[in-house]
Amino acid sequence: MKNRILRMITGGLALLSLGVCLAAPILYFLGRISEDSYKTAFLIASIAWFVFAIARGFVRKPPAEREPMP
Amino acid sequence: MPERWTKLTAAMDKLYEFDREAVTPDKFQSGGKFAGLFAGEHVAATEFVIGAFFVLHGIGARDLLLGLLIGNLLAVLSWTFVCAPIAVRTRLTLYWYLRKIAGPGVTLIYNIANAFLYCVLAGAMISVSATAVGLLFGIPVPKLGAILPSSLGWVLISVALGAAFTTMAILGFAKLSRFAEVASPWIFFVFIAGAVAALPRLGVDPSLDNFWQVATTKIWNGVAAAGQEKLGFWHVLFFAWFCNLAMHIGLSDMALFRYARKWTYGLFTAFGVYPGHMLAWIASGIMVAAVGREMHPGLMAYQAAGLAGIAGVLLAGWTTANPTLYRAGLALQTITPNWPRWKITLIAGTATTILACFPVFFLKLLDYVAIYGLVLMPIGAIVFAEHWVFPILGIEQYQAEKRGWAFNWTALVVWLGTLGVAFALPLHLYFRWLPGWFIALLAYTGLMAARRAK
Repeated sequence: MKNRILRMITGGLALLSLGVCLAAPILYFLGRISEDSYKTAFLIASIAWFVFAIARGFVRKPPAEREPMP
Repeated sequence: MPERWTKLTAAMDKLYEFDREAVTPDKFQSGGKFAGLFAGEHVAATEFVIGAFFVLHGIGARDLLLGLLIGNLLAVLSWTFVCAPIAVRTRLTLYWYLRKIAGPGVTLIYNIANAFLYCVLAGAMISVSATAVGLLFGIPVPKLGAILPSSLGWVLISVALGAAFTTMAILGFAKLSRFAEVASPWIFFVFIAGAVAALPRLGVDPSLDNFWQVATTKIWNGVAAAGQEKLGFWHVLFFAWFCNLAMHIGLSDMALFRYARKWTYGLFTAFGVYPGHMLAWIASGIMVAAVGREMHPGLMAYQAAGLAGIAGVLLAGWTTANPTLYRAGLALQTITPNWPRWKITLIAGTATTILACFPVFFLKLLDYVAIYGLVLMPIGAIVFAEHWVFPILGIEQYQAEKRGWAFNWTALVVWLGTLGVAFALPLHLYFRWLPGWFIALLAYTGLMAARRAK
């Protein structure tokens, strides 16, 4: 149960991080934040995505091995 | 069959033993799983280059949008109507199905050709990553049209990255693949963020009122860069269609669709190609326009998304080069059966690293992608003919398997002959595969029918 709650929290934070990755450039485009703020927010949110997504275990198991694509 | 061939093909079979049997119904996957699987695909380092090259080749905005919409639709339909039905009916990988049709010898040659093509592709991925790392050290990216390495610094960066990617592929392919699964959605966000953030630099108003005007005059303005061929609507359409030719018309995605409950799951590929081969290409086009049309993926991403952008280019190259090296190693292992896995990956990695030093592979990426698909396409046509056309015409199927042929010489001759004809056709490189597919289909059917008559 505890583990499940933890997974839910880390999963939610991971998705929130991706949301920030999307929101930051939009806010910059709209002129609400500066370019530096956007880049810093994007960098921090990116790191957060990797930390929380790996903690949550956002890894799909593909049904078969396949070749990489261009 | 000569002893040497017997040994080689036995070793090859052993490598692919795990997927020899047809998939059983208990292992079928749901449509949702396929949608999820495809959603993370087709966002690789090469996307930074392809979309940017569309700008440099002077493609107009309307031609680009229409070409990508229709071309990707044709790609999705090719997966749905060509690849998926054969996979669902046979439940086999292309490897095992081709073995029944063309014999183990032709399958071996196909594997080696695939390995070489993978190495070139992985080399291009490393080159793209090198542009990001080179930016940190002030190493200039080779100019458009360059074939040889432009500086010692470029060679050193490429070798360092190639060595790092190869070492990591040797140490932990499986773990890296899982990491790539996590990186994939984020890399897509790097494209989107980079494009959105590049818009103010191009003069787009926050209201987006002048977006189309900027798009048609500053991004896809229809003017090719100096020394670049002018391309148009049909080129874009065909490029989007053949970009994954080896996977759909070439049938290598049978490995995936043999797990599908229904052939209509081919439609789920739309979840992958439209974000990756439409949005990401549009995004990289915007980014290259924002840096003054300089083909420099590292700079494009850095200007648009800062350090995270550089990390995005590096990771996009690494996460796609990793499985490419693995597959190249797997294919090469068939000819060196007693070698340990690490050694063959090292060989593939070394070859890839050498190729990565030559910028021509990423600077001519569009042409290379066309050649990659073209080389493997005739095999898809041969399998298609054997699967669908032979039963209609009453030609015996799977003769190689039934008669124990190492080589179905007809298949080999048709494969090589089609390539010869395709390369001689007076058409643009992008358009040659389509007549080539029909030539292979008709030639293989005709020759096998003639053989029956004899």
